[in-house]
Amino acid sequence: MKRILLVFALFLFGASLAACGGVDDVEIALITDYGDIDDESFNQGTWEGIVEYAEEHDIAYAYYRPSEVSDDAYIEEIDRAVRDGAKIIVTPGFLFSQAVYTSQLRHPHVTFILLDAVPEDEDEGVFVAHNTVSIFYDEHESGFLAGYAAVYDEFTELGYMGGIAVPAVVRFGIGFIAGAYYAADELGVTIEFPDNRYTYLGTFNAGADVESEAAGWFNAGTEIIFAAAGGAGGSVMSAAEDISAWMIGVDVDQSANSDRVLTSAMKALATSVQLVLDDYYSGKFPSGQTLYLSATEDGVGLPLENSRFRNQATVEAAYNAIFDKIADGDLIVPSNYDELLDFFTDWELGNLPITRETVGG
Amino acid sequence: MSEIFSDLSFAVFWYAVPIMIVLLLVSLGGLMSERSGVVNIALEGIMVMGAFTAATVIYFLRQADDPMGRQWMVLIGLSVGAISGFLFSFFHAFAAVRMQSNQIISATALNMFAPALHVFMARTYIRGTDSINIRTTYRITVPILSDLPVVGPLFSNAFLSTYIGIAILIALTIMFYKTRLGLRLRSCGENPHAADSLGIDVGKIRYIGVMMSGLLAGLGGAAYMIAFDNDFDGHVLGLGFLALALLISGQWKPLRILVFAMVFSLFYVVSSQHGSIGFLSSVNLPSEVYRSMPFIITLVVLAFFSKATQAPKALGEPYDVGKR
Repeated sequence: MKRILLVFALFLFGASLAACGGVDDVEIALITDYGDIDDESFNQGTWEGIVEYAEEHDIAYAYYRPSEVSDDAYIEEIDRAVRDGAKIIVTPGFLFSQAVYTSQLRHPHVTFILLDAVPEDEDEGVFVAHNTVSIFYDEHESGFLAGYAAVYDEFTELGYMGGIAVPAVVRFGIGFIAGAYYAADELGVTIEFPDNRYTYLGTFNAGADVESEAAGWFNAGTEIIFAAAGGAGGSVMSAAEDISAWMIGVDVDQSANSDRVLTSAMKALATSVQLVLDDYYSGKFPSGQTLYLSATEDGVGLPLENSRFRNQATVEAAYNAIFDKIADGDLIVPSNYDELLDFFTDWELGNLPITRETVGG
Repeated sequence: MSEIFSDLSFAVFWYAVPIMIVLLLVSLGGLMSERSGVVNIALEGIMVMGAFTAATVIYFLRQADDPMGRQWMVLIGLSVGAISGFLFSFFHAFAAVRMQSNQIISATALNMFAPALHVFMARTYIRGTDSINIRTTYRITVPILSDLPVVGPLFSNAFLSTYIGIAILIALTIMFYKTRLGLRLRSCGENPHAADSLGIDVGKIRYIGVMMSGLLAGLGGAAYMIAFDNDFDGHVLGLGFLALALLISGQWKPLRILVFAMVFSLFYVVSSQHGSIGFLSSVNLPSEVYRSMPFIITLVVLAFFSKATQAPKALGEPYDVGKR
């Protein structure tokens, strides 16, 4: 028995060595956020961008997965990447703000690309150092486009499930409300998107409770749910499949995950990382800047070619028109609750049925 | 009123019943082990193992050129999950019975090992990603039976595991109270020395108890994955521990466990569907209150019942012939 265990231990040890192979010579490093590089969402989108760029230019790359979600664990992984020789460290996610704040000062010769956040210290406040660039996406525009397209595709009963109410998830939701009601007004149709069809699940994990909640909504008449909820989106897909309803994916094109994904509210994670990497290698690194990627920069959008709209031609035409409007700045999409209220007043969309307590932000 | 009923019956038959079956299977697994005298907090890890192997098998079955019927895949998946749970629990049984080690430690090892193995295998050999995706609907509607009044809903859009679970509950209860093996299991958990003096091989009985428990927990894990986690990523979100809590609330008795599994899963589903069940959606409580409700209730019940606990007397003690 002992011998079997020993062999087994050796096997695992060998396998773990194999998995770490080649890490000691890294140039571009990704530190993963909550989740892994194959989360079919945020980390994966970023990682694919890095892989594509690095392969094309023959640059060594690797990823590091922190042992837990905490500032200390993040900083530890960043230190490890730096020890391995990383010159550029990409950190996707809101939760990295403190870790990058500390690390950008500790490693002034290493470049940091921080997505979805700015470096921020509890005491010192926000500071984007010369070796760092912060990238934000206008998720509200992405959510707006999703809501707009759904209503143009003749969905009249909508719902929104966010994972945890972090800023990006809240912006997706606010944009979704605005887009849905704006399209309804243009088309002169009435939609149902009440207060109890907007929620934050409190988790990014799939589970029976999420599936049950989504199925309950579908059963009570909701036709489509926009799930900005990471892995929990998978549970919404399962519910949609069981009840032949629809859902909208998030962050990356999730059409391959389920036949019930109508479309996905994307952020151009891969593209944006590649652009900044390109800037870096051509000596034009946007040092110390905070970039906001919106429809104008093609930073957000829907994957039209992989969408399953029932009225593809109609939706596509409407989508392209509204996308141009947003990109040209003719239509400003709200990004917080106050702006959402103003948006409803300005465009005379009637009463906003979803309360501030529900939405937050 | 009729609308409320349809909301509720949807919640109950589509969700509460399958969740109840999962909890019931795993709890009964815990029962087998604990009544034979071995603490089994490895239920969580064994569930993961069952779910992982079932997902793997179904994943490859689906890739066949001529894939078989979906329910056959489910049946094979459930069997493989049960067998792998049976084999996996051997490690716990070996440590607890033969090596007389601390039963918490060896069970914890299983809990830590199973998700790690899942990630390693899924990454390296199966799909190249963390999760194994077998997403489709595995629900089944039985013709004729589904048209019956009253019990009809139990046969439409249900899972195969529901019927297997009910059959196992009945078989186990009978086995437990009416057969020689059941009596021996119970005696080994209460007074192994007395059992030994009557010629019962305590070690063997405990091996049977623990490995039966692995079989049921593996089956439960596979059933959970097929019903609710088709993109399985190596986590069952504490359901194994929850089943353990039900086992304790149910005072190590099969039918009481059934009652608690029913009550818990009902609250679990009602709390997650509070927004769509007519009379609840008008009550404006924050959703956090609803979501924590089933767990708070379990805690209260546990606190209430643990006072008069009827745990097997020799639970957790390695059997030592020389000890009196």
